[in-house]
Amino acid sequence: MTSGKKRSKVAKNISRRTDEIQAAIDYGVDISLLIANSKKSYAERIRRHQIALSTVEKLRAARRR
Amino acid sequence: MSSNFFNLLERLGTAGVDFVVVGGFAGVAHGCTYVTQDIDICCDFSPANLLRLSQSLAELHPVHRMTPNRKRLELTEKNFKQFKNLYLDTDIGQLDCVSIIDGLGDYKKVKQASEVIDVEGVQLRVLGIDALIKAKKAMNRPRDKEAIVQLEAIKRLKNPKTDPC
Repeated sequence: MTSGKKRSKVAKNISRRTDEIQAAIDYGVDISLLIANSKKSYAERIRRHQIALSTVEKLRAARRR
Repeated sequence: MSSNFFNLLERLGTAGVDFVVVGGFAGVAHGCTYVTQDIDICCDFSPANLLRLSQSLAELHPVHRMTPNRKRLELTEKNFKQFKNLYLDTDIGQLDCVSIIDGLGDYKKVKQASEVIDVEGVQLRVLGIDALIKAKKAMNRPRDKEAIVQLEAIKRLKNPKTDPC
């Protein structure tokens, strides 16, 4: 399944699509990621952010070389 | 050396620095999906607290990153009054320390609007989601728009049956 289709399916599965969630979808936010994050602990969110940040820093360093 | 924000916050916490995580990283703690490249904290700018902050960072070679020569951080009981904010760079990441948050007020008000979270046994104070939205709206910067949209959606996901009106 493509990420677009997956996003759309998750969005449809939200039984009560409220204004704030619709606004996020309209803005281009991947709501499935927000839903997945909401199920994680604080520690897990921070750990995953650290992984993403390290990747960004490695890519930047590679571009400078 | 690469950034390690949790290590930075853990050092501050272990040293007894009185602070609240605010800004983009607070959004990450609440579940935002973006990557932020610095840590913003609001802290008590009393001499004792600033000295604790300075000592906790000493091993990380903190410098004032906004000064032309990246001047070393040297806080003493005599010079602490000259600082309202500190924009630092350390060996493990950038750390911005502010004494006031737009839309919220001074450290006392910010602390009242915070919540304590547990991260791997470390207790951290993080600005609550409502206060974070309020602060980001008050700053009114284009780059905060997505954060506000995400935070409002997260809030709704947490409380699906609450009517916002």
